[in-house]
Amino acid sequence: MSSVLTVEHLSVHYEVPAGGLFRRHPLTLKAVNDVSFELRAGETLGIVGETGCGKSSLGKGVLQLVRPAAGRVLWEGRDLCTLSPAELKACRKDLQIIFQDPLSSLNPRMTIGEIVAEPLEVHRPELGRDERRRRVDAMLDRVGLRPEMQSRYPNEFSGGQCQRISIARAMICEPKVIVCDEPVSSLDVSIQAQICNLLRDLQRDTGVALLFISHDLSIVRYMSHRVLVMYLGRAMETGPRLSFFGAPRHPYSQALISAVPVPDPDQADPSRSLVLDGELPSPMDPPSGCVFRTRCPLAVPVCITQEPALVDVAPGHGVACHRRQDTAPA
Amino acid sequence: MAAVIECQGLNVRFRTDDGAVTAVSDLDFSLNPGECLGVVGESGSGKSQTFLAMFGLLAPNGSATGSIRYRGTELLNAPRGALDELRGNRLAMIFQDALSGLTPTMRVGEQMAEVLVRHQGLTRQQARARVIEALEVVRIADPERRYAAYPFEMSGGMRQRVMIAMATLCRPEVLVADEPTTALDVTVQAQVLRLLDGLKRHTGTSLVLITHDLGVVAGLCDRVLIMYAGRAVELGPVRDIFRRPAHPYTRALLRSMPGLGIDPAEDLPVIPGQPPDLEHLPPGCAFASRCAHVVETCRVTRPALLAVGADHARACHLPA
Repeated sequence: MSSVLTVEHLSVHYEVPAGGLFRRHPLTLKAVNDVSFELRAGETLGIVGETGCGKSSLGKGVLQLVRPAAGRVLWEGRDLCTLSPAELKACRKDLQIIFQDPLSSLNPRMTIGEIVAEPLEVHRPELGRDERRRRVDAMLDRVGLRPEMQSRYPNEFSGGQCQRISIARAMICEPKVIVCDEPVSSLDVSIQAQICNLLRDLQRDTGVALLFISHDLSIVRYMSHRVLVMYLGRAMETGPRLSFFGAPRHPYSQALISAVPVPDPDQADPSRSLVLDGELPSPMDPPSGCVFRTRCPLAVPVCITQEPALVDVAPGHGVACHRRQDTAPA
Repeated sequence: MAAVIECQGLNVRFRTDDGAVTAVSDLDFSLNPGECLGVVGESGSGKSQTFLAMFGLLAPNGSATGSIRYRGTELLNAPRGALDELRGNRLAMIFQDALSGLTPTMRVGEQMAEVLVRHQGLTRQQARARVIEALEVVRIADPERRYAAYPFEMSGGMRQRVMIAMATLCRPEVLVADEPTTALDVTVQAQVLRLLDGLKRHTGTSLVLITHDLGVVAGLCDRVLIMYAGRAVELGPVRDIFRRPAHPYTRALLRSMPGLGIDPAEDLPVIPGQPPDLEHLPPGCAFASRCAHVVETCRVTRPALLAVGADHARACHLPA
């Protein structure tokens, strides 16, 4: 399948200004460091990692909501990183985003109808009012909202309904790519499943590619065709769903998967999961060599001196680990 | 075995500008010595309000009726002085948001030591030694130094471990943990769950684990109470809840979880619709409007929580 979006060696940095007694010099926080991936049409790539791993910054960097410090984002033969704001605006029709907190990402002073119609007004001004209205009605119906809800305001809706509105807004211009940044994390279990299924249905119907960012491995496994695991701004492992979840090879991925509570009283045992010791190092001062080495049960001296490269261990399945020979399933 | 906590006919209501909201209605349950009871439900199910009522921590517009007894002593609407003797001492509670549970302007060790000075009459020196010991138990590295740290200097996982250490300083008989791992990353969640598991095994503390995550319940709990719209819909041993769920809501909840064991090629079965508005609860079963097996009686009469097996009960009109 052809790739719609190619990300090469992307880095996103934030400047932390000097201030206070102890920080005389500005610091650079490297939120994303040299991450590459391809997103194919109709596919979902799951980006997994814990707080502070850079997964949201990666999503924002791809969409140029934060300008990357280095790297390229290739989109229809052009590098988004080099485009002017005006040129970018034209691309935004095809590149959309859905945020974690559905209520705060909807303008409280606009009605649902106005919120969903706005992208059409900006990107498809040639459509008449009636046509716009027809499309908004159809879109609301498609995401499971009644068209007569159009004149109501976001605060009248539950979290799940607000997320449906966000999805309608993102989908109305028929985008090619949607970055979904923790779209179901703030929702209740029974509502999570509704929203996940809606996204899967819409993808099947329209072929939209999703960059699905989440800390929840169960949901990523359900949603994604391929997975990318991040830790402290680096890609640790990437692979097709089956290969990755069947035989994760990075010690961090293995710890992540084993930490997911098993919903079965005969198999679940908190004393058996592979618990990582210690704390996440500060992203302002990451460890040398492999960034995971301070918490890695397999760390050896080379992990201190040399940063491991992402090496394929199976077709399309790459691992950045010096000990990858020792992490294969027995 | 006499129950440690006995809750009977609990109702929790809130007065609001739009009228009265019933957060918990007619709830019965008990907590046995040394067991871990999981209380599972979605937002608005009343799972947290039940225990806030028990601790006398309801918001000012809230009121509770019925009875919650700790070893025969009535806790509901008990005078503040009597509650203060028990809270933090025999009964402890930890919350989802560990940062707001700690005083921001006080050193972590000092606020922990205060519990021992207040409840057990230790001197500051004695208390300090016990606090450092407790921090070691929850695997806080370098506890001597962390004693003098402020809450903002710690990570979320570290703060939650501090809360657990603080809650267990007086070796409480009952520890209520309200979504203790919801704000935490999976690997940190695993650390905290292991800690609670060790606590239950080694100290005989009775544990109440309030959560929306059935996966967490499976690993830790002996019995499970499933709540929906302020009511108990099912109560039973953890194996029965997972192997033989008797209420349609429990069954639907279990099926709609995207666990690591499901087949991603199949669509997740969903529970359609949303929970009812607590201001306008239906007269019958609160789950009726979302239930796939609904019959006429469900809309009219509220089902009682009745036994379907040993120690296993459900509130449903359908034939078992």
